Amino acid sequence: MFSYYLQLGLRSLRRNPMLTALMVMAIGFGVAASMTTYSVFRATSRDPIPQKSDVLYNVQLDNWGPENTKEGEPPPALSYKDATALLRAHKAKRQTVTYPIGVSVIPEDPSRLPVRQGAYATGADFFPMFDVPFLQGRAWSLDDDEKHADVAVISKSLNDKLFNGGQSVGKQINLDGHLFRITGVIEDWAPQPLFFDVPNTSGFDEGASVYVPFNRAVDLRLPNNGNNNCVKDPGEGWDNYLRSECIWLSLWTELPSKSEAQSYREYLSGYAAEMQRSGRFSWAPNVRLRNVMDWLSVQKVVPRESQVSLLVSLGFLVICLVNTIGLLLAKFMRRAPEIGVRRALGASRLDIYAQFLIEAGTIGIAGGVLGLLLTGLGVLGVGLVFPEDIARLATLDPTLMLLTLVVAITASVVAAFYPTWRAAQVQPAWQLKSN
Amino acid sequence: MLKMTHLAKVYRTEVVETYALRDFNIDVKEGEFVAVTGPSGSGKTTFLTIAGLLETFTGGHYHLDGVEVSQLDDNARSRIRNEKIGFIFQAFNLIPDLNVFDNVEVPLRYRGMKAAERKQRIMDALERVGLASRAKHYPAELSGGQQQRVAIARALAGSPRLLLADEPTGNLDTQMARGVMELLEEIHREGATIVMVTHDPELAARAQRNVHVIDGQVVDLAEEPRFHAHAHTAHS
Amino acid sequence: MQIRPILAALRRHKAGTILIALQIALTLAIVCNALFIVHERVERVRRTTGMNEANVIAVQNLYVGSPGTYLPLMKTDLQALRSMPGVEDAYVTNSFPLRRGGWSTTAQRNADDGKNGVQSALYFGDEHALATLGVKLIAGRNFTPGEITSFTRDQQPAPPQVIVTKAFADKMFPDGNALGKTVYYIKGRPSTIIGIVEKLTVPWIDTDFIDNVTIMPLLFDSSYQHFVLRTKPGQQDAVFKSVASTLYGVNRMRVLPEKNGVRTFGMVRSAAYEADRGMAVLMSIVCGVLLAITAAGIVGLSSFWVGQRRKQIGVRRALGARKSDILGYFMTENFLIALAGVVVGVILALGMNQWMLTQFEMQRLSFTYVLVGVVVLLGLGQAAVFAPALRASRVSPVEATRSV
Repeated sequence: MFSYYLQLGLRSLRRNPMLTALMVMAIGFGVAASMTTYSVFRATSRDPIPQKSDVLYNVQLDNWGPENTKEGEPPPALSYKDATALLRAHKAKRQTVTYPIGVSVIPEDPSRLPVRQGAYATGADFFPMFDVPFLQGRAWSLDDDEKHADVAVISKSLNDKLFNGGQSVGKQINLDGHLFRITGVIEDWAPQPLFFDVPNTSGFDEGASVYVPFNRAVDLRLPNNGNNNCVKDPGEGWDNYLRSECIWLSLWTELPSKSEAQSYREYLSGYAAEMQRSGRFSWAPNVRLRNVMDWLSVQKVVPRESQVSLLVSLGFLVICLVNTIGLLLAKFMRRAPEIGVRRALGASRLDIYAQFLIEAGTIGIAGGVLGLLLTGLGVLGVGLVFPEDIARLATLDPTLMLLTLVVAITASVVAAFYPTWRAAQVQPAWQLKSN
Repeated sequence: MLKMTHLAKVYRTEVVETYALRDFNIDVKEGEFVAVTGPSGSGKTTFLTIAGLLETFTGGHYHLDGVEVSQLDDNARSRIRNEKIGFIFQAFNLIPDLNVFDNVEVPLRYRGMKAAERKQRIMDALERVGLASRAKHYPAELSGGQQQRVAIARALAGSPRLLLADEPTGNLDTQMARGVMELLEEIHREGATIVMVTHDPELAARAQRNVHVIDGQVVDLAEEPRFHAHAHTAHS
Repeated sequence: MQIRPILAALRRHKAGTILIALQIALTLAIVCNALFIVHERVERVRRTTGMNEANVIAVQNLYVGSPGTYLPLMKTDLQALRSMPGVEDAYVTNSFPLRRGGWSTTAQRNADDGKNGVQSALYFGDEHALATLGVKLIAGRNFTPGEITSFTRDQQPAPPQVIVTKAFADKMFPDGNALGKTVYYIKGRPSTIIGIVEKLTVPWIDTDFIDNVTIMPLLFDSSYQHFVLRTKPGQQDAVFKSVASTLYGVNRMRVLPEKNGVRTFGMVRSAAYEADRGMAVLMSIVCGVLLAITAAGIVGLSSFWVGQRRKQIGVRRALGARKSDILGYFMTENFLIALAGVVVGVILALGMNQWMLTQFEMQRLSFTYVLVGVVVLLGLGQAAVFAPALRASRVSPVEATRSV
């Protein structure tokens, strides 16, 4: 019976090409608008590290006090004093502090121009904590951290540029005149959103190509290339800066179980309470320990534009559906005589339901195919609306393609419920009355 | 075959109740060809819609082929329409989007028949009405008489026990009407039970028996004089 | 036009009537808000910077290596840039309008007052800054070469003289007469306002202190610098092409990033407002398609109604209705439905705006937009129903005599 109804549906669609085209376009445009904006929303709201996002925690600690914070939310980064104190305590399985530095790589070949590279100063734990994939060598060791060693990890594309993609472990790299020994080469790794450095990137960035030990970077006074926020004048000089309440460092911890997270939280509160006792803080402990997804949501990583446009296009889809309901109603009720005859000839209500829902389904399929094409165009055009760092994340993958078709078919079948119900109410006809 | 006793059909609106049928009694035997006549508004069409299970009734009993139908749900009624009743409409009521073959196929589809059997029956039915060569034509390409023959083929294809016809020649000119009428007579001779509603006395005369309906009640004209005569003899 | 019979007829077509009205209502709600977003974004994009933006080029420069001081490099570079053919003037700075990155601080009126200051962006530059940017000095004087000093990353920017924007001056000194007054950017370090410029905006596009700027006669001794150049009219392209090689010619130990290393101010502006422009374009497209689809839907449903009522129309015609009566009937019918739709739509539009207001820090929807939306949708409805109504008016009175 399905194929019969499908046949009838297609025949009926051919009968009113204008009306059919209108419905297909309404569904197609509505679905494409929603799917295009959804592709951006999905890209900006996804879990950047699904295998570990619930065991990685960002640490926040209020060193500014209620006068300088909004709604009790501690500052988004830590001061050097607190970050290093928490690191020294070693209360987590793994922990690392990061800050972005800007370095220029000076090639050995003097005829080549220096290149500016994004870089992070961080600890040895960074790599195993965030599952950073290595191509050559390995991360530097905790011992290197302790010894303030001149070591570095570089990315594949920088390795390609500097060493033509060859073995570079053990070789030297010149960063702004300082020599570092390469311990490993990683893939071009930049999880999106760039969860470990949201305050400086808003979550979307190409990532870094050089990583050096935090302790060494501080020794070399490599300036922070990210945001630097002070509520009090830090005074002049690097050492004053390190002693100040200026916030510029991100601290991440890996806590494999809920109980470990709980005891770390207690430790944090304890630390803040101690600061209060010592007179440094004049307010009660105010700390946060948030896992990756909580952190991203508090930091409002999904751009406002993405949310507004998703909402507007969902509204657009609803209007297209209302439109389709109206057109389907017109189309189905125009065939009231046919329905009456079919009912008289023995079609049950269920038969009428099946026939008309399948007809609507075929509109959905056609609308879905159109929607797929338009979504493809839309995803290509995302760059016109969203910044490049975000636009490049929006892709038309098999999941999105499937979703487009499913939404189109579901939407048209849902839109067909009322018109079909009306069609099934048509009485089996004897004398068919007009109007 | 078709037996109604004390059947009533009331149309209710907010203000009035209208009796379309009242204490309506009729008994059509298997193999009969009955013409139902009456002025317009007399209720003869209402009778036919109820007989064809297109509408429900308000009171009384209706046995179709020995089955009391008043308690059946929509599905069961659809099934009986499909299997036991063939309809011939005044306005033909072919589906304009479907060609002749597909139109005849409609009731067979709802019966869930296999494709081969459907085809056999459709071609047989079209053969029967002399339109086998027009199977691929659309209704709009046929004359009124041909369209009505297609409708008859559609009614016959499912081999129904009962054929219900409503002014089957009403929309046709005299010549075409004669052809359609001859076809109905032929079908009757082959054993079908036919109930035909008409206001045309000439047409009614060709049926075996006439039932006259006035104001929603059956008035048996054929028996009336005899009834009077009988009464007379009783008195005398 | 007799309205009661139309309403009576509509009561018999509830579903269709409600669907059209609902579609008009939803369309109005979305179109009003979308157009308002477009308006908001266009307003932002059209904001001026206070600069004469034509013939300006910005160069992002990073010195490589760690010399004790970058000042000699900066001075040599400036000299080279100023002597380039086609260059009228140039200066070196930390930031400029629309760069979306820079410095800001809170300035105080008193040495010890720690609260209630005025937020200001900080631009560093020498006596060439005003001319290069093309900003208008409305009071006081420009810096003299002797006033230009420098500071390092370990020091604080707090020169004895500053030039500020009028907006900043007015906020700092609401009584007027800011010229010659003292301001504290760093505790205990007074700066005197020696000049006031008419307007200059901050590097960011999303702040609530967009016009509060202070220009300081400083060179920031650091590896990261921005050169701003003003070219002679017609020379912008030539300078744009040769500026990188000029700088590399002076000194190879530098990086001009591949992306955004050398930009005309037009490029700076379009990059800054990329998201706003994109949003405006997207919302405009959505509005256009939405209106088209709604119009098409009205045409579709109205055509159906006309088709369904051919016989009725024929009867009316037979009873003496003129073509214009039939046309008027359908136009009025649509108007009534659309009217119901826009009434609901206005409520929806305001509700939606109210919600977006709390969620996305949008402005309150101006009533003009709602009014324009109402007029547009009523007009759209009339335009869409016209063709089906015209077809209805052409129905022949003969239809009355046809059965079915």
